[in-house]
Parts: sequence; C-alpha cells; structure tokens
Amino acid sequence: MNRLRFVFSTALLVIAVQAHASETYDDAQMAVMAGSCANCHGTDGKMAGAVPPLAGRSQAAMEAQLLSFKHDENTQATVMNRIAKGFSDEELSALAAHYAAINPN
Amino acid sequence: MSTKTSKQAVSLSRRRALQTLSAAAALPVLGGFAPSVLSATQSIGRVVVVGGGFGGATAAKYLKIANPAIDVTLVEPALRFYTCPFSNLFLGGLRTFDSISHGYDELRDRYGVVVLHAMASEVDSEHHRVTLNDGTVLDYDRLILSPGIDIRWDGIEGYDEEAAEEVPHAWKAGAQTELLKSQIESMDDGGVFMLTAPANPFRCPPGPYERVSMVAHYLKQHKPRSKVIILDAKDSFSKQGLFQEGWQAVYGDMIEWVSLSNDGKVIRVDAANREVETEFGEIHRPDVLNVVPPQKAGWIAVRAGVTDASGWVPVKPDTFESQLVKDIYVVGDATIAGPMPKSGFCASAQAKVAAAAIAASFEGRESPDPYWINTCYSLISPDYGISVAGVYRVQDGEIISVPDSGGVSPTGAPASVRAREAEYAVGWYRAICQDTWGSA
Repeated sequence: MNRLRFVFSTALLVIAVQAHASETYDDAQMAVMAGSCANCHGTDGKMAGAVPPLAGRSQAAMEAQLLSFKHDENTQATVMNRIAKGFSDEELSALAAHYAAINPN
Repeated sequence: MSTKTSKQAVSLSRRRALQTLSAAAALPVLGGFAPSVLSATQSIGRVVVVGGGFGGATAAKYLKIANPAIDVTLVEPALRFYTCPFSNLFLGGLRTFDSISHGYDELRDRYGVVVLHAMASEVDSEHHRVTLNDGTVLDYDRLILSPGIDIRWDGIEGYDEEAAEEVPHAWKAGAQTELLKSQIESMDDGGVFMLTAPANPFRCPPGPYERVSMVAHYLKQHKPRSKVIILDAKDSFSKQGLFQEGWQAVYGDMIEWVSLSNDGKVIRVDAANREVETEFGEIHRPDVLNVVPPQKAGWIAVRAGVTDASGWVPVKPDTFESQLVKDIYVVGDATIAGPMPKSGFCASAQAKVAAAAIAASFEGRESPDPYWINTCYSLISPDYGISVAGVYRVQDGEIISVPDSGGVSPTGAPASVRAREAEYAVGWYRAICQDTWGSA
C-alpha cells in the first residue's frame, strides 16, 4: 500500500514538474516576470483583440517572435521591440514557455 | 477582523465556499498533496488593501491568485471606480462616462476578496489596525496602501477646493471630469481653452498633453475657430517631440504650448473671474480654465506615517514595503519610484510585485526578483496614437531603467503606425481594466 502510494505520488510529482514552464525560474518568479504582460494581453495573456492573446500559443513561435522584436527584425513592431530589449534571451525563452503552457480557454 | 455587516458575512461565506470548491477540484489531480491543499481553507495571513484603483484592486486580486488562503479585504469608498486613463477620451467625445467606470464584482465573487465600500480614516501601525469611517476596525498582518494622489491645495495661490468647483482640475476622474466636459461644451466657437500644467512629479506625465489633444479634437469638430493654450511650469514634457509633431499634423496652429522659460508658470488663480496670473505678472482670462495643480500622496499615506518631507512615499525597491513603517506596502502614484512614472500601468506592475512579496513572506519564502514594465499610450486623435515604454529592474538597491530598452514611438513615422498605436491604446485599456476589475 505504501509502495503503491509512493509510485502514485511520484507519478504526480513528474506531472507537476512537467507543468513547470521553466527550469530556471520557479512559479512565483515566473508570475512576477510575466506580471506586466497582462496589462496589455489580459490576465494570463488570454485577452483577444487588437493586442493578440499569448496563452496557449506555440512556445517556439513566441520565443522566435520575442527575439525578433529584441533584435529589431520585426518590421511590424510598435512597442514590443522596446520592451523585449529589457529582457535577456533566457528570460524571453522562459516567458514564451510560461504562456505556451497556459490553457487559453 | 470585525465582520459587522451582513454583506460582508455573505462575502466571507461565499469566499470560503469558493476555496472549498477549488480545494475539492484540486483533489483528484493532487491526491498525494491533499493535506496541504485542504489547509488552504485556513487563513495564512490577513492583508488589508486601501484603495480600489489600478494599484489596490490589482494587489487584492494577485494576492488571491498567489495564495487563496490569504485573507484579503479591499477598502474603497466608491461602488464604481472611474479611471483617469481614458477620461481624456471622454472629454474628447470618444467615450461615454460609463465606459470608464469599473466595479468590484469579480474581485468579490471570483477571487474571494472582501470588498468594503468605506473610507479608511486611521492607521495604527503599531497595533496593525485600520479604522474605517463607518467605525469598522480591521486587523492586518500586512497593509497595502494604494491611495493615489491628493491635490496640494496650498500649491497655487487662490486655488482651493472651493475654486475647483468653478475651475476644475479633473485630475481625479469623476464629478470633476463631468464638470470640465460641460464647460467645454458650453464654450462658444472662437473661445480659448487653457490648461495649466504643474512641475514634476505629478500623476500621468503625458496626461496634460493628451488632454489638450482630445479637447482640440472636440473643438475642431464643433467649434473650429477656438484656441487651446497650455501654460506649463516646465521647459520640457513627456513625449514632447511626438506631441508637437502630432499637434501640427492634426490641428495646425490650434494648440499653443507656453513653456516655463516663456512665462508659463502660474502663481495665482482667481476662480470667480476665471483668471490666472503667471510668474512675470501676465494675466490670462480664458473661456474654459483647467488647472492641473501640484500634487502629493493621498491623505491616508500621511495618516499611516509613510510619507517623507516631499509629500510622497519612499519604498524599498524590491518589495514596495514602506521604508519608514514595517508591514505597510505602498504602490502606485503615491510612491517615489523613479524612473518609473506615476501611471496606472506602473501601479498595476508594482502591485503584482508587492503581492508576490507578501505571499512569499507568509509562506516563508524569499521574495521573487521584481520585474516591472510600463507602457503609456496617448491619443492625439482617434486614429493617431503614440507611446512611451520602459522596463525596470532593481540594481544595487535602486530601481533602474534597463539600459537600451524602452523609449518613445519614432518621430516621422507613417500614419499607419500612428493608427496601429491608436488601436493598441484601446486594446491596452480593455486589457488592463480586465486584469484589474474583470470588466473590459
């Protein structure tokens, strides 16, 4: 019984760890790092409108887009080029993973 | 915490029901951790938040998101909060007054915040206690103040509360905003609208310049022979190059800016005669006069003992806890947080950092590293938007603007870029209001 419980808990732990978007930053840190994004993209990046939502989008596509903003390679940029320059590549990658992991519904 | 009113009792039981529900919902997934999840129904700390604007409402919500076992009580006198952002669009005829007001249903019903519509009248920091004007006494483990600004009624000779009934400031959205709008609407074609802008620091650095833009938009349509004049106590202002480029492009010579060096500083207001006097003795008698006066931190911050000689609130950069009084956190326009401006966006960003720090302290963890962004859009006309952005971190114990980040929209940009930023301005307002109050 104890063993079964151990296996069950371990399985849950694995799921819990996989749910973490970033290996470098814990959940509380990611919540703060991503906090200001909500001011234009809505809580958890779920707001659709003129400003696009972030929740549930492809991690690779978001990371590539953030890097293109940062390096002035995105000709459509208005404000995100100025904002992306304030973050390291690692932080941008973690933010992309954070929003990709959020269920948009 | 006293729970005298039946309304509050209902809110409390509803919150507990919500917590129990969420704990139950979590059970199948986190079976192994059930005991710690269930303990969420027991409070791990009490936070009182004073002020239901961008800073306070956001702090209340994000405390509950961080940990639903934190008891959060929000104290805000108004049933509906009218935002300063987009109040200029109301003046310009682009928005209804209702559309810039927001309520507290989501905080109460979805997040389990106890919302008390009363005024905080006293803070006893030694005993960790807040008294409200209806006699309610609230005990706290941590207090968050988001009091916004108060007008310095001694800042300009002749400009007191009574004068503001004739000559509005409209720098707190509400009845003052409606008064100013009615005066603009009553003005004859060919009249002069004059705004007087204060020296730094003040709430919303680009605000006066967006306001004259929106007034000019209204006048251009309805009273095209009118004139708009800004008397400024400064020689430069936020997004200056962009505003001046936009004014010329959209309004020609309708808007005139008079800098400090050109005798723009107002030293006396005569409300009865709608008259202002500048430093070097020039008298102006416009048809509509809008005085944006000098400001200071909201009154309750003074009562709590968190303000310094400047009238503003020094805070610890990492957490926004007061530098002067333990366990009191202050966010928003009341704080000294330069290089962050006094904006609704920054108030929200600061509130999230403070909420995370408080949750961490209750849980015995280190506070996460702070991150803040600011983005301020201003509308020159309905399809002409400009912006300033900043990214902020703490370095060597100071808030810094991250090098090579942030800045303003490019000058000389094509109309398509201005149109896109005007759309994003509206998108920003919907998103931040959804994030703060749940109503876009």
